[in-house]
Amino acid sequence: MIKDLFKVPIYVVLIVSTILFVFVASCTDPEDKAVKEDLENMSNEDGSVIDSEGNMGEIIGNLSSPVEMAALIKDNGVPFSLKYLSNPDNIDQYSTKFDQALGLGILGADLGYLNIYDRTTYVLRYISAISKLSEELSVSQFFDFETLKRLATNNENLDSLIYISTSSFNRMDTYLREMNRADQSILIVTGVWLEAMYQTTQVVKQKPNEKLTERIGEQKLILSEIINTIKRYQSKKAFKELLDDLTEINSIYEKVKIEYQVGEPETVEIDGRLIIQQNETSIVNITQDQLNQIISIIERIRNKRIQLNN
Amino acid sequence: MKKLLIPFIFLLVLTTFSIDSKAQCNDQLVNDCALNVGDNATYIKDFKAKLKGARKGSAPIATFSIVLNKGTHYRFTVCNALEYEGEAVLQLYDANNTMIGSTFDLAKGKDYKAFDFMARKTATYKVYISFKGGLEGCAVGIVSMVR
Repeated sequence: MIKDLFKVPIYVVLIVSTILFVFVASCTDPEDKAVKEDLENMSNEDGSVIDSEGNMGEIIGNLSSPVEMAALIKDNGVPFSLKYLSNPDNIDQYSTKFDQALGLGILGADLGYLNIYDRTTYVLRYISAISKLSEELSVSQFFDFETLKRLATNNENLDSLIYISTSSFNRMDTYLREMNRADQSILIVTGVWLEAMYQTTQVVKQKPNEKLTERIGEQKLILSEIINTIKRYQSKKAFKELLDDLTEINSIYEKVKIEYQVGEPETVEIDGRLIIQQNETSIVNITQDQLNQIISIIERIRNKRIQLNN
Repeated sequence: MKKLLIPFIFLLVLTTFSIDSKAQCNDQLVNDCALNVGDNATYIKDFKAKLKGARKGSAPIATFSIVLNKGTHYRFTVCNALEYEGEAVLQLYDANNTMIGSTFDLAKGKDYKAFDFMARKTATYKVYISFKGGLEGCAVGIVSMVR
């Protein structure tokens, strides 16, 4: 019987082993497994509405996108400038998990800015810094650094570079929340927000811009959400200090007024695509003095956080 | 002849597996969907939804929160995992629980792979993903920014 096994043709052995290899590999891919488990967890036996954010519903998705603010800046005709970015060579200053998570968010916003401006020459330095910080935080498995480096080096397929960068941050964020590390997740979100705010306020400081000013004013809502989440961890000293910083920013935002005008959305179909125009609008009322105070305070706090002390 | 047959079968097996992997309910589905949202659209976020079939008449719905910014042109795209029967419907609601948009037009009985939303109010919105007829299904919703 055993002797007969050796008579099996070699190509049959090759095919069977390939099938087995592919099958085992697909079953044991930890990332796929995590995603499958994640998806399974969303199922609800009684068929009721499921909060797919589950326990992590404490942080709203897309509170601060690494690319949205940068895209707005670019679309308003603002030229590229490295001075709006943090120095990726200074990451050794991020010595605690707290600082590393905040720093990862800051560098994530910078990477988003570079990607939107298609400045792949500088991207590699930021990818390397993000790689180091993500290793420190044990979340490097969500970043395909080799692919990111290849895309940046060859200056190929910018869409893929943006997609891989952004989705890596999203997947890492989901993982952190699921692993009861939502404290690190909100720090990364805060880092992204602070850096994006720094970039925008610095642009407006140099040259007034109505749309960017409005976006700065609207951050009142986002800041409020961030503060509410940070408050949950204020028993820890570092979080309390960060909360104090954010509360200081919020004290200016309390004077910024946002009004709403109601309206029904309109839907049209153009070339087979549905386009929905929202007619409910928000109007931001922010004075020049309030704007100046926000610019100043963001600059101070952001620079303190990246330890520039200027 | 046998020399030609072996690599042919080998390739056939690998091709079969790679085609199948595209349809699966995992990150590959997100990748495939995110990279097909349109030339002028930039990926922002994805939502994964895998739901079991309806029981006792009520269909499960996956719900997510997202902040959308005034002045931004968003695109909501939905993609189904082919190994499931369920066809996903993605709906966008505002904070008052008023539906703003859907990939399924109930009046016309027509499905859309995506819809565009021109936001004029910065706020937190809700994204719901469900499957028609309460069938079991797996899908991803992609939010992208059109520029």
